[in-house]
Amino acid sequence: MNIENRDDINTRRSRAVKTAWLLGLVAAMIFVAFVLSGVLGH
Amino acid sequence: MTTENTHSHDETHDDHHDHAPSGFLNRWLFTTNHKDIGTLYLVFSLLMFFIGGSMAMVIRAELFMPGLQLVEPDFFNQMTTMHALIMVFGAVMPAWVGFANWMIPMMVGAPDMALPRMNNWSFWILPFAFTMLLSTLFMDSGGPAAGWTLYPPLSLQGGQSFAFVVFAIHMMGISSIMGSINVIATILNMRAPGMTLLKMPLFVWTWLITAFLLIAVMPVLAGAVTMLLTDHFFGTSFFNAAGGGDPVMFQHIFWFFGHPEVYIMILPAFGVVSEIIPTFARKPLFGYTAMVYATASIAFLSFIVWAHHMFTVGMPLTGELFFMYATMLIAVPTGVKVFNWVSTMWRGSMTFETPMLFAIAFVVLFTIGGLSGLMLAIAAVDLQYHDTYFVVAHFHYVLVPGAVFALMAGTYYWLPKWTGHMYSEKWGKIHFWISAISVNILFFPQHYLGLAGMPRRIPDYSTQFADFNMISSIGGFIFGASQLIFVGVIVHCVYKSKQKATGQVWEGAKGLEWTLSSPPPYHSFNTPPPINASTIAHAGEAH
Repeated sequence: MNIENRDDINTRRSRAVKTAWLLGLVAAMIFVAFVLSGVLGH
Repeated sequence: MTTENTHSHDETHDDHHDHAPSGFLNRWLFTTNHKDIGTLYLVFSLLMFFIGGSMAMVIRAELFMPGLQLVEPDFFNQMTTMHALIMVFGAVMPAWVGFANWMIPMMVGAPDMALPRMNNWSFWILPFAFTMLLSTLFMDSGGPAAGWTLYPPLSLQGGQSFAFVVFAIHMMGISSIMGSINVIATILNMRAPGMTLLKMPLFVWTWLITAFLLIAVMPVLAGAVTMLLTDHFFGTSFFNAAGGGDPVMFQHIFWFFGHPEVYIMILPAFGVVSEIIPTFARKPLFGYTAMVYATASIAFLSFIVWAHHMFTVGMPLTGELFFMYATMLIAVPTGVKVFNWVSTMWRGSMTFETPMLFAIAFVVLFTIGGLSGLMLAIAAVDLQYHDTYFVVAHFHYVLVPGAVFALMAGTYYWLPKWTGHMYSEKWGKIHFWISAISVNILFFPQHYLGLAGMPRRIPDYSTQFADFNMISSIGGFIFGASQLIFVGVIVHCVYKSKQKATGQVWEGAKGLEWTLSSPPPYHSFNTPPPINASTIAHAGEAH
C-alpha cells in the first residue's frame, strides 16, 4: 500500500467514524423518544 | 477477461499480507477481517436455521393429526414463539449481515468494513443473546409463549424468564444496529474512487436501504420491550389497562417496527436476485435505476402501513382505508421489480445453474406471497383472514421461498468465490428441486386451511382440517430433511471438492468481486481498484 493511498484510507476511516457516531446518536434518540412518549403519554 | 489485471495487481500487493492470524482464537474470536466475520455470521445463521427448523418440525409433528399427541399445549406455544424469534433474528437477519460482510467491501472496492472492531462486537454479541434466549426453555417458567409479537397482556403473564427474553432482544437489537451502522459507514465512506452511488451493485443498494430501516426501527422494538419489562417487573402500566395503560398501543409500536422488519428480511433478497439473474441471463439488469428507486419506495411505504396487521382492533374507518390503500401501493414498486427481473431474462442466453434456479423460484413463489398479501390488505376481508392459517401461509411464502430461497441462491452463487472450489451442481440441483416442491406441499395447503377458518398458533384443531394439515406436515418433513443436502453440499465444497473455481466463476458474472481470485486474498483491495465499464456490475445501465 502506498503512502498516498494509506492517507486517503485514514481520511475515509475518520469520516466513517463520524458517520457511525451520528447514526448511533439517531438510534439512541429514537429509543429515548419512544420510551418518553410512553412515559409522557401516560 | 480484462479485469484479471486488477486481480493480479491486487494479489502482488497482498501476497505478503495474505494470511489469516494463526491460532483458532486469534482467527475467529478476535478477528476484525470482514471475510472471517462474514463466515462467522453465516455459520451461526445456519446453526440457528436448524435449531429454528427443528422447532418447526415439532410444530408440524403435533399438527400431523388432530388431537394432542406429542407435546403439551404450553410447550407448543413456546415452540411457535421461539421458532419465529430464532428464524427472524437468529437465522435470516444474521445471514444477510453475513452476506453484507463478505460482499459489500468487495463489491465497492473497499479494503474492509469501515469499523472492523465494532464488526467483531456486532457478531460476538449474538451467540450470547441466543444462548440466553434458548436457555429460557429450560427455566421453571419456560420460554416465551405469547407469539413472537409479544402482545400484552398475554406476554406479561409469563414467569421470570421473560426478563431473559427481553434482554436477549435488546442484545440482538444492539448487534443489528451496530451492523447497520457499519454497513452505512462503509458504503458512504469506503467506496473506491469512481464507484459512484449509481454504479453500485443492486445488492449494495438494497443493503444500504435495509441498514437505514434497521437503524430507524430496532430502537422502536427496544423501546417497546423495555416498556413490557417495566410493566412486568416494576409495576408500570404502559400496556396494562387496569393501570390506565393501553395494550393496543403496544400493537401499534410493535408493528411500527414489525412491518419494516419484513422488508429488512426481503430487501437484501431483492438485491441478491438482482445480481444472479443478469449473470445467468447474460444480460445487464433491466431498469437498474428503477430498481434502486423501487427499493427506496418500498422502504418508505413500509413505515406507513403498520396497522394493516391489526385491522381487527377496531380502528376508525378512515384509518382502515388509509392503511389498506397504503399497503396496496407497495404492489407498485414490487411489481416494477418483478417486471424488471422478467425483462432481464427476456431473450437472454439463459442457463439454469443452481443459483439461477433458486432465483427464478424466488421470483415466482415470492410473487405468490405478495399476492396473498394484497388479499390480506383488504380491510373488509381481513376480518375473515385475520389470525388464520392464511396469514401463516402468506408470510411463509414471503419468507421461505422468498428470503430463504434468496439466501440459498446467494450461497450457491458466491460459495465458489468464498471457498475457491465449485460445489456439486448435481447435488445443488437435487437440493433445489426437493426444496421447491416440498415447500409448496408445506405451505400451499395452509391457504385452504386459513380460508376454511383454522386459527393459527393452536396445537389441536377440528377434524375437518385433518387432510390439509397432514399434507402440510409431510411437506414440512421433506423440506426440513432436504436442508441436510444443503449442508452436505457446503461441507463437500469447503473440504472435499477438487474442482477449483476461477476468479470470475460464472461466465456472465460482472462486478468487482469477480475480479479477485477465488478465494479472494485475506486482505483485498488495499489499493482501490479502477472503476470502469468492465468492473461495474450493471454496466449496461449505470455508466
